[in-house]
Amino acid sequence: MSAGQLRLCHRDDIPEGAARGFLPLPDAPRNVIVVNRGGQLHAYMDSCPHYRGGTPMAWRKDAYLDAEGAHIACHAHGALFDIETGACVSGPCLGRKLTRVPLSEAPDGSISVPAQVAGRAARES
Amino acid sequence: MRIIGPDYLVFGVDDLEGSKTYLKDFGLKPVQLDDTGWLYEALDGTGVIIRPKSDPSLPAPLETKNMLRQQIYGVEDAGALDEIEAEMSKDRRVTRLSDGSLEFKDDLGFELRFQVTIRRELSMPAEKINAPGAPAQRAPNELGVTDDMAALPRSLSHVVLFVPDMDKVVRFFCDRLGFVVTDVLTGAGPFLRPQANDDHHTHFFIRTPAYMQGCEHLAFHMGGPTELMVAGDRFVRKGYQSFWGPGRHKFGSNWFWYFNSPLGVHFEYDADMDKHDDSWVAREAPNGPEASQIFLLQWREKWAPSGGPEGGSGA
Repeated sequence: MSAGQLRLCHRDDIPEGAARGFLPLPDAPRNVIVVNRGGQLHAYMDSCPHYRGGTPMAWRKDAYLDAEGAHIACHAHGALFDIETGACVSGPCLGRKLTRVPLSEAPDGSISVPAQVAGRAARES
Repeated sequence: MRIIGPDYLVFGVDDLEGSKTYLKDFGLKPVQLDDTGWLYEALDGTGVIIRPKSDPSLPAPLETKNMLRQQIYGVEDAGALDEIEAEMSKDRRVTRLSDGSLEFKDDLGFELRFQVTIRRELSMPAEKINAPGAPAQRAPNELGVTDDMAALPRSLSHVVLFVPDMDKVVRFFCDRLGFVVTDVLTGAGPFLRPQANDDHHTHFFIRTPAYMQGCEHLAFHMGGPTELMVAGDRFVRKGYQSFWGPGRHKFGSNWFWYFNSPLGVHFEYDADMDKHDDSWVAREAPNGPEASQIFLLQWREKWAPSGGPEGGSGA
């Protein structure tokens, strides 16, 4: 793992169609959500853009998707987000997006994120 | 009009099994109503009814994705239902069901039902505290906390709705159903209580765009702040996501702790809300962090100061 990167998990820790949340550091303010869609991993800050500063979206640990697994869902007010783009497609934050987190994958399958993610609570405007 | 407050809130859910687990873990008791419906009840029998969102026995959904399908209110007696029927029949269709209850829509399209309340009278002590200068509330050797202490929701307290037209909804509840405004958070909206309930609020309305219309949260009364925090702590430890709290609101003085839910609304534990009578004059304050709470805390793992002065483990 290169400098300035924080390891979240191994690629195999996120089964196809599933989502999981990881704290990049134990005292980080927000989880990073990683979703596996068709073998491709997408990552966003666990921070619904509905309210300033962002709010956590799961209703239970790792419960980030809607019942069909078709969208990322904020279980605060029911907003749905496109898994590929992070754009809100329904709900209170229409027109806004989740903050995408760039993922790096090492040859051994380790998934990591830039270290500054651990200090980022708010969405980027 | 002798309206008491919400008996049940009815939801058509996406994730039935997840919702059942959530409501049970929140502390509500499951009662199967029929093949597709479950009531999760608080100790006084009020609660939340869930069905799969495709269930044809549910009232029509809102135009938004909000999963709230009906609000069911309890009134004191059949006379109150007659009064509501007479008032509502002036300008809308009112359906009288075989059990005597009434169904109609409010002026914003929310589905309502009114019934003679199903709530059971509770006889339980409130949380008891001891303080210098006042008689002790707990007897000698009576403990304040135990690991296995009960901390279950006692009663459905209030519902908070996102509404696109504040004037319309307030006129409807106050002018047509006899609710009174107890306080106003300017920029958000008013708190309301009905005539047969002295709680600070059974309703709070928040002004939003039309695409957000629906339920924002619902709350259950707990036996006191300690029960609220014990219940919330247990809920966090089961993996549920805190949204706001624990803390204590200013308007209403109630302790609060809000959680995300698979029903797409927040579930709140509340405790120790103010009581009011008709002599109360509503206050007004600009909505925001200062007006919303007297203090706000955040859950953390259990910890204790231990070990040596140099920060050693002490092991």
